[in-house]
Amino acid sequence: MIGSLLSNAGVWMPLAWLFVLVVTWAIVYYIRSRGEARYHKDTEQVRPFLAGHPETSKAAMHVRASNEYWGFMEALKGYYHPLIKGHTGNLNDYICWFICILAIVLVLVISVGV
Amino acid sequence: MFILRFVVAPIIAILGAIFVGLIIMGIDRILAARMQSRVGPPLRQPFWDVKKLMIKENIIPENAISWLFNAAPVICLAVVSTILLYLPLAGFSPILAAHGDLIVVVYLLILPALAKVIGGFASGSPFASVGAQREMVMMMSYEFPLAIIAVSVAWLLSKVHPSLDAFSLQAIATHPVWGLVKGPLGIVGLILLLVSLLVVTPGELSVIPFDLPDAPTEIVGGVLAEYSGRNYALFYLASAVKLVVLPSLLIAIFFPYGISGLFNVGAAAAGVIDVVFFLVKLFVILFFSVTCVHVLAARLKIDQLVNTYFMAMTAVSLVGLVLIVLDAAI
Repeated sequence: MIGSLLSNAGVWMPLAWLFVLVVTWAIVYYIRSRGEARYHKDTEQVRPFLAGHPETSKAAMHVRASNEYWGFMEALKGYYHPLIKGHTGNLNDYICWFICILAIVLVLVISVGV
Repeated sequence: MFILRFVVAPIIAILGAIFVGLIIMGIDRILAARMQSRVGPPLRQPFWDVKKLMIKENIIPENAISWLFNAAPVICLAVVSTILLYLPLAGFSPILAAHGDLIVVVYLLILPALAKVIGGFASGSPFASVGAQREMVMMMSYEFPLAIIAVSVAWLLSKVHPSLDAFSLQAIATHPVWGLVKGPLGIVGLILLLVSLLVVTPGELSVIPFDLPDAPTEIVGGVLAEYSGRNYALFYLASAVKLVVLPSLLIAIFFPYGISGLFNVGAAAAGVIDVVFFLVKLFVILFFSVTCVHVLAARLKIDQLVNTYFMAMTAVSLVGLVLIVLDAAI
């Protein structure tokens, strides 16, 4: 049986949300159905708007996955650059990082325990 | 009772929110125009805009993934309307109070933005793709301060009233946060959280200076560049409903007070007074956090936006949380 998801502090019943979503979806779909559905297929109006620039290949028209988070990476480059620099691809470096972090965590745990 | 709660209430909520949202849009446009020494459009202009869009051609670009392109505006409006059912409006309990809380609302607020992202990427237009990318980055940036605000308020409520469901919006609305803190530290902490939520509001609404996903003068409408006709009308209506949803959340957390108790009137008249007072609070919040801001400020760059939300507002929210904890500890 599917009931509410309960934690010590939160509650959510997904079925209730899904049910009202179906109702709101039906209303929205009705509103949409009242609008004009027609347009002129196979004419210039279905071409993407490129502000007068010529269309290159379809693939080149999309934002590449590596650029998806460009703004985020640019704003936080002070944080990301040292991290990227640290990714040398050398296993010895990763193990060295692991031991250093483990040592710091141990010191913290022991000092709090004392 | 089931039909009333799960069928009639959503219908009233969506139609009421669309009506109020479009009125607010009209008022916002008039006030913004007056601040710029213009006459501005009439109050009913947003209604005419929707009517005009509904009779325009609904063009589907040749590069678009048509079913996703058509589904995105429907998802956006349908989902944003469901959020209303979890919020206490005008002193009334949330319709789905027993089925979701503040955490659910914070998560549901992501979905309309995600629908815009899906619609943008499905458009097959470089402008829309750039807009969708910006929408995603913006969403990631303002979610962090929003989550901290939610946790701070819930922590404060659980500290003072351990028996209550701390994330329940009904519990938060019936126990105003200003009465839960002991001294000036707590008050300052709450003011910082309020400021943070006021700054997050225009971002959620994608208005200047946080309108990077649309940016008409820069990426010709961005996410919505290829949308027209009835699909565009649904996104327009979703923006109107959001104008009700976000201030309602802010009111529920920080200003849940009613004034019907000051008058010696019956239950029906008290309900009307509280609804009118709620609408006044809605207008005031939108005037300061949206109208004034988009008249006075210019559009930020994407890295400035991330710095504003992810760094500055997160820091402000965290300081607010720390002050509240210190206030409770002293």
